[in-house]
Amino acid sequence: MAEILQYVHKDAFLHRLNPYTKILFIILVTIMAIIATDIPFLILMVAVLLAFAAYGEMLKESLNQLKLILIMSVIFILITIITMPNGETLLYLIPQGIPFIGGLVPITTGGLQIGVVLTLRFMILIFAFQLFLVSTQPRDIVHAMEKVHIPIDYILMFIIALRFIPTLQIEGQRIHEAQLARGFNPGTGFTGKIRSVSPIVIPLVSNALLRSNVLGLTIDMRGYRTGKRTHVRERVFEKRDYAMMTVMVIAGCGFVALVVAQMV
Amino acid sequence: MIELNNISYSYPRTVQPALHHVSLSLKKGRCVMVTGPSGAGKTSLCLAASGILHHEYGGKKEGTVIIDNRNVAEYKSLSDLAQNVGIVFDDAEAQMIFTTVEEELLSALEHRGLTADVIEERLDAIIKTTYLENLRDRSPHHLSGGQKQRVALAATLALGNEFLILDEPTSELDEHATVRIAEILTDLKNQGKTILLVEHKYRNFKNMVDTLVILENGAITASGSPDEVLADQRIHGMIFPDFSTIRKTVQNGSGEPIIAVQNLTHSYGEVTALAGINLTIHKGEFVAIVGENGSGKTTLVKHFNRLLSPTSGDVVINGRNTKECSIAELARDVGLVFQNPDHMFFADTVREEIAYGVNNLGIGNSDTVIDAALRDAGLFGTADLYPRWLSRGERQRLAIACVVAMQPGIIVLDEPTTGLDGNEALLVIRMLKNLQEKGHTIIIITHNHEIAEHCADRIILMENGHIMSDTGGA
Repeated sequence: MAEILQYVHKDAFLHRLNPYTKILFIILVTIMAIIATDIPFLILMVAVLLAFAAYGEMLKESLNQLKLILIMSVIFILITIITMPNGETLLYLIPQGIPFIGGLVPITTGGLQIGVVLTLRFMILIFAFQLFLVSTQPRDIVHAMEKVHIPIDYILMFIIALRFIPTLQIEGQRIHEAQLARGFNPGTGFTGKIRSVSPIVIPLVSNALLRSNVLGLTIDMRGYRTGKRTHVRERVFEKRDYAMMTVMVIAGCGFVALVVAQMV
Repeated sequence: MIELNNISYSYPRTVQPALHHVSLSLKKGRCVMVTGPSGAGKTSLCLAASGILHHEYGGKKEGTVIIDNRNVAEYKSLSDLAQNVGIVFDDAEAQMIFTTVEEELLSALEHRGLTADVIEERLDAIIKTTYLENLRDRSPHHLSGGQKQRVALAATLALGNEFLILDEPTSELDEHATVRIAEILTDLKNQGKTILLVEHKYRNFKNMVDTLVILENGAITASGSPDEVLADQRIHGMIFPDFSTIRKTVQNGSGEPIIAVQNLTHSYGEVTALAGINLTIHKGEFVAIVGENGSGKTTLVKHFNRLLSPTSGDVVINGRNTKECSIAELARDVGLVFQNPDHMFFADTVREEIAYGVNNLGIGNSDTVIDAALRDAGLFGTADLYPRWLSRGERQRLAIACVVAMQPGIIVLDEPTTGLDGNEALLVIRMLKNLQEKGHTIIIITHNHEIAEHCADRIILMENGHIMSDTGGA
């Protein structure tokens, strides 16, 4: 089963980077992706991220996200085509030959362009966040966030939300099988579909609530919420971090120059 | 030392007290084991003894708990209590918060005010004690239940506390994993730890128990050295359930074949889970499938109702190849009860829960059918209760009743007695035996050799996707 957003234990370039370097990297990439509207530039960013993924031996994990991205891009492009018609009309979503409704929903260059830009932006954000999460141990995330004075409870919430994604996936699968064995019927029609969800969702949520009680007590009784902490195996800034920072500064300056020149 | 003086406790909005005048003392370096039927208040006792009850729960509390010469009320918070007491719960999954074993342990060690060198030293020692050497970098999703529970135990040990409280640490574990936990706990006791162990499986822990306490309906009914306590016939029967009287006669392959498995192979990706299985099961048989975790038992039975389809080979149920049937059709012939009953309950009452499957199959006369299933399961009095309020044993029988009401000829159960105490296990097995007498074919997957030997007519041993032995011949 594909494990969504889970840390993958490896000893490669991205894993060895300091969490702060990676956080700054995400911030930079996010800002660039939001400001830039130039499609070739955004494509270049995707390529750079994939190159980083490949260098950090994480290409497989990144490409696993393609299915999600594909679904998302179809939705984005459809929405922008419908809501933001602009520029030249290329063709019509509903062919003109059909009586009455033919010729509705024009596909325009403007709508298409915005859809593609949105898709690329999300693609960049997903790749960037995923590279961070699969290459950084939650313990290091806790340390990094604690140092900038984010309250420990919020950090733990973030970590736990990620940690239990696969657990819920597996449990959902088991519940589905158990209900199938009881003649579970996926239901037809809108209300049928909604109603058929309850045999899966109710056990899933009930079990999760029960589990959260044990989880909460465990966190307290292991003293995770007490302030004092010995720092073991702490990540220090190394040469590769400084190298990465330098690359980021250059990229940042270059980007500002491009923005000023109105080229992106 | 931990001392409970005359503790009574009722949860908020309940009438029945969960604990009733309980007094218990846990001396340094000793092991006290508490056992009793489910719903007796064992978990409440663990929560009380660890001070959690006092700090985290509302409700009516009486009596005092002293931990290490301090009243629990004097401790400021759970974090403060955590400096003295470590507790391990039954749900192993919920006790792993980080993504590798080593990370989990380091995170626990970091909060103890130790120097980095001492932490590394202690980490290695704990990993050695709990046999986690080869699993250091594993993620929770790649650990078995027993391994996860060892991690939870290790993370609690990381705290370095003298007192260790364990709330049914082995309830979801198989025999092999339970033995491992028992070995570790015995070592810890020899190292001088003070242990309060709540468990059903006295047999596995008998070498380390100094005092045995029987808890029933929230009150202690017996307490003393194991020999003294077990001298009482009633208690002896509770702790060592006698399965030997269950089977009246061996019925060997008398009926016509009802399941025929031919050359069945199943692979998950590159892993071969089943390698050329041939098996015929006859109508009315009681079959036990035994074998280690990962030997292919569950994979095999999932083929009977087509939750899994063969990679190659055939499965024929009642003369029909499963390839030609849908899962819903097969549900009429094959009922499958999974290990954890909580994976299926979603209705508001026990009756509605049973009605779900019956209505899905469109079985007529549903009220009569449901009543009969309730009676078979001994749950008639609970028909209007919320399913999740039932005890663990009752929930297991309800899960079986849900499937029985659908009137399948074949009933398959994955680990039907795991997590149950002796009496509950007996009730479940008796229920299955009655179903067999009514003409159902029963197939159980079990780790309990006693149950397999005393209750089943036929034992199939699986290993690495092969059938190694089969007492039913063929």
